[in-house]
Order: sequence, then C-alpha cells, then structure tokens
Amino acid sequence: MTWFTDRHFFLLAVAFYGASTVYSVFLWRKGFRRDDWVNYFLIVAGVALHTVAMFKRGLTLHSCPVNNLYEATTFLLWALGLACLVYSLLPRFKFLCAFTAPVLFTVGVFALMPSLDVHPLPGAKPDFSNWLRSLHAATILQSYGAFGLAAVAAGMFLMQQHDLKFHKLRAVLSLLPSIQRLELITLRLTLAGFLLFTVGLVTGEMLPRPEGKPYFSDPKVIWSALLWLVYLELIVARMFFGRSTRRFTIGVIVVFIFLLLTFWGTNLLSGLHHP
Amino acid sequence: MSVVVIGLSHRTSPVELRERFAFAEAKIPDALKSLRESGVASEAVIVSTCNRVEIFAATPVEPAKAFAELKQFLVSHHAYEDPINDELYTFAEPQSLHHLFKVACGLDSMVLGETEILGQLKSAYDLALQHGHTGARLNKAFQRAFHAAKHVRTHTNIQRGSVSVASVAVELAEKIFSSLGDREVLVIGAGDTSEKTARALLSRGAKSIIVANRSLDRAQALAGELGGRAVSFDDWAGEFEKVDIVISSTAAPHHILDRAKLESLMKARRQRPLLLIDIAVPRDIDPEVNFLENVYLYNVDDLQGIADDYLKLRQEEIAHCEAIIAEKVKPLLESNSFQPQMNTDGQRLTTLPADA
Repeated sequence: MTWFTDRHFFLLAVAFYGASTVYSVFLWRKGFRRDDWVNYFLIVAGVALHTVAMFKRGLTLHSCPVNNLYEATTFLLWALGLACLVYSLLPRFKFLCAFTAPVLFTVGVFALMPSLDVHPLPGAKPDFSNWLRSLHAATILQSYGAFGLAAVAAGMFLMQQHDLKFHKLRAVLSLLPSIQRLELITLRLTLAGFLLFTVGLVTGEMLPRPEGKPYFSDPKVIWSALLWLVYLELIVARMFFGRSTRRFTIGVIVVFIFLLLTFWGTNLLSGLHHP
Repeated sequence: MSVVVIGLSHRTSPVELRERFAFAEAKIPDALKSLRESGVASEAVIVSTCNRVEIFAATPVEPAKAFAELKQFLVSHHAYEDPINDELYTFAEPQSLHHLFKVACGLDSMVLGETEILGQLKSAYDLALQHGHTGARLNKAFQRAFHAAKHVRTHTNIQRGSVSVASVAVELAEKIFSSLGDREVLVIGAGDTSEKTARALLSRGAKSIIVANRSLDRAQALAGELGGRAVSFDDWAGEFEKVDIVISSTAAPHHILDRAKLESLMKARRQRPLLLIDIAVPRDIDPEVNFLENVYLYNVDDLQGIADDYLKLRQEEIAHCEAIIAEKVKPLLESNSFQPQMNTDGQRLTTLPADA
C-alpha cells in the first residue's frame, strides 16, 4: 500500500466533500426541510480521510505539514471541516454542513492541482523545529478556518433573511435556525478567527527573521496586516457602531472570498513564506 | 356484533344544527346508559365537540335497523322536531372503523391534521370506559385508532406547519428571534385576530404584552386578560424602543406607520429586528417599511398565503395517511373480535349496507 500516498487520501476526502455538495444541492432543492445526518456523516468521512492525509504527510516531514501551498490549503480546509462538524452539533445547525461542503469541495479540488504541491528546494524548507513557528502556522490557518465558517453562517443568514423579507414559504418550512442565532454565530466565529489571527500575527512577528529578507515590506505581511485591519473594522463597526447585520454578513463573506483568492498569490510573492 | 357510527359534523351540517344535537359532558353517561338499555347498543361512546356529534356503537342488530334506532334516539333525546335527513351520516363496518381512525388522525377535522380532536376523542372514550359502557370491540377499536393517530403524526407531514394566521405569526417570530422568552409584543388595536395572535405568542413564551387602543377601557380589559399593560393610543410609538413584535389591527382608514416614521424609530432601537404583523384592512402599515433593514412586515394576505400553502402540503399527505389507516384497520378487522358472526347455518348475522 506504499503507492497509496497522503494525496490519495486527500483525493478521497475531496470525493466525500463532493458527495456532500451533491447531497446539499438536493437539500437546497427540497427547501432544507429534511434534517437528517447524511451530510454530517459524509463530512465526518471526508474529515477523517483528510486527517489521515495530513497525518501521513506530517509523519513524512517530521513536522507540521504547512511547507507549501498544497499543505497550507489542506490545513485550512481541515480546520474549516472540523469547526463545521463541531458547530453542526448545535440545535438546528446541521445544515451548516450543506453550506460548508461546496467550499470544502471547490477549494479541495483547487488544492489538488499538482503545481501547488511543490517540494521545497534543499535548504529552503521552512524550519518548524521552533515551536513558535508551528504555533504561528497553526493559529493562522485555524483562523482562516473560523473566518470560512463565519462566511458560511453569514451565507445562511442572508438566505434566511431574503426568504423572510420576500415572504417565501421556505422561510418557515426550512429547519434552519433563526436569523438572530445565525447572526450571533457569524459574529462569534469572526471574533474567534480574529483572536487566532492576532495570535498568529504576533507569533509571526516574534520569529527570527531570515537575513536579507525585508519584513515590513513583505507582501504577505502587508496582506495579513490589511486583512487584520479589515476584520477589526467589521467587528468594531458591528459591535460598537450599530452597523446592520446584513452589511456585516456581506462583509464577512466578501473578505473571506478575498482571502481565498489572494492567499496563494501573496504566499508566492512573499520572500518570507516562499523562500 | 358490529361497530356502527351515526353523527353529524361540520361537513354535513351548520353550527345551528350541531348545537341542537350537542351533548353536555355531564349528561353523556346517562345518555350512554339509556342507549344501552334500549338494546340497540351493547357498547357505546358519544363524541360531542363543536364540530361533530357522533355515536360509536357496537350493536347486535343489523346496521340498517341500528341506524334507524340510533337516529330515533338522537332526535328524541334532544327533542328535535324538524325534519333531518342528509345532515346525519351513518357508517357500518368496515367504513365505521375507517371513519374512527380518520377522525382520530384529524383527517375529518375542519383544520386538516389538527390534534385537538385526538384529545377530545380520548376524553369521550375515557368517559364511556369509566362508566362501563365500552367492551372488547370498542376498546380495541379506539385503542388501535389512538395508536394509528400517533403513527400518522410521526410518519407523515399531516400536522406539519401552521394553518391559522395566529400560528403562522408565531412561527415567523421564531424564525427571526433566537428566543421568544425575552420579546415584548405591542398590540395596536384590540381586535379579535390580534388578540388570538397575542395569545399564541404568549403561549410560546413571549415576555409581555402592551396594548394600545383608541378606547383605553378596551385596551385595559384586553391587557388585563393577557397579563400585560395598556397604553393610550397616542403613546404607542413611544413603546417602539422596547418592543420586538408589533401586531396592528386598527380601523384607521390610512397608514398609521410609514417608512419615514419607522426609520427614526429604528434608529432608537439600534436596528434590532422588528416583526410587524399588519392584520388590518385597510392596512395600517405602509408596505414600503419592508425595505428597511431588519424590518419584517407581513400583512393578513401574506400570513393567510403561508397558512394556505401549509394546508396544501397537508392535503398532499392525505393519500399517505389513508394508506396507513387502511394498513392499520386491516388487522383489526381480521382479529377474532371483529370477524363476522355466523349462525348455525353458516349465514352472516350482520350485513353491510351497500351505501355504507
């Protein structure tokens, strides 16, 4: 079974995420009226295989598997999938899986592109022997997972709010939670993500800097600082200045899409992250 | 011995007639006693609700004769002198059992799939049982019917959703607010539907009710009944900062709440969600307010539309329920106590009327 690599396990995990996405379309077409465990267990199977894939890669590397874009992306998706499974256990939150599955599937397919899984040149491999470095990578990627799940909950909020505003029968027929609960979950996840992101940035700043590599002008550092400020603005405006829930949730979704679209680019441009 | 039914319901007769044949609960044991003493029924249960009056009887006589005697009993017991024909319906086995099961499942109710009838049927059966007017046949039939009703409730969508304006309003509130426990309700105009809606919200845990009405006496009376407080009609806008749900049903010929007015009130509320239920005709609330952030406006047509859609969904379930009932009635008819009794020549003692 040596030919069955960690990438094969991840491929199987993505297949389960894909099956969950197909089932989610079915649930959506039925107006989210059926509240069963099928989707949940599809995601459980996906996350289990995903965990095996990451574990195998970690064993091979003898370190946290976040050395290239493939590994970083799978780590991010794993955090998202795991958070989804935990939050889905809340009453009426099983449908979170239906909204998360498309994100796991599409980003998972993207992560499988061979060009993302480039092995670092000898001597250029990031050194994770420092616990601070592992903490930095893990908290940053977990924060992306929390932001992703916040965007999913925000999507559920917007759908439910639209249905209520336009008097759609689905608003009362669906087994989705109330919009106030969805808003609360979105805010809490954004706060959790922001906290993890802050810890990740602080630990990153404390790491020893490679010689000849600029820090404050590094594209990834600038991008991260910008992202931190944008999330701070979203949270402060919502919590202290009464910004409407709709604008807050749209902001959470837009910023996460921006994160997904620019995460790889800034990583490639960063001298610190892509030596 | 076979089970027969005679009765009248909302399907066959107006309330004026139903009330003439209604049995007061206290008088039912005596009625059952005289029915059994007449010889037409060995066992009997009388169901008397606002929508139906029915006698379920296990009778040793042929159904056609039993129906005539039961009709005579109903007419003489209530001293009814006018002609009565199509308003009364009769069923012999196996339709009588199908009917009992359908009634228990709410399939014969005015509000399709409602559960109140099951409780009423249980009370009627318990009353007859306590006074010794039931036996093997009716005990088995009623207990199986209750079991079937439970099965239908868990395995179909016949009771899914709300089919009244008040209950739809409650369901909407639960889709907006995480809990009704800390929600305040403002009732503007103390009408009948607004009172029902307020009661429904209170029964689901709403914190308190504020009533504003042009007649302060009426407001105070309703507030007293609902355990809330009354405010003068001119002061209702002052309550907006606190309330989360507004039920409006005034007789005003124009909008009492428009977009500009609500916009300023929403600022004071720090944009907290607000559910507006406008059940007045002409409407009290300008439809434009629905374009405001965190405002959810439903008028009486919107609520009725949702209730009607729910009803359609329930109607789509009827065939499923009837299949379950047929499945449940079949073993009951096949059981020993329901097998047709034969005389020594092998002839059936009870016969089924062709139209039953």
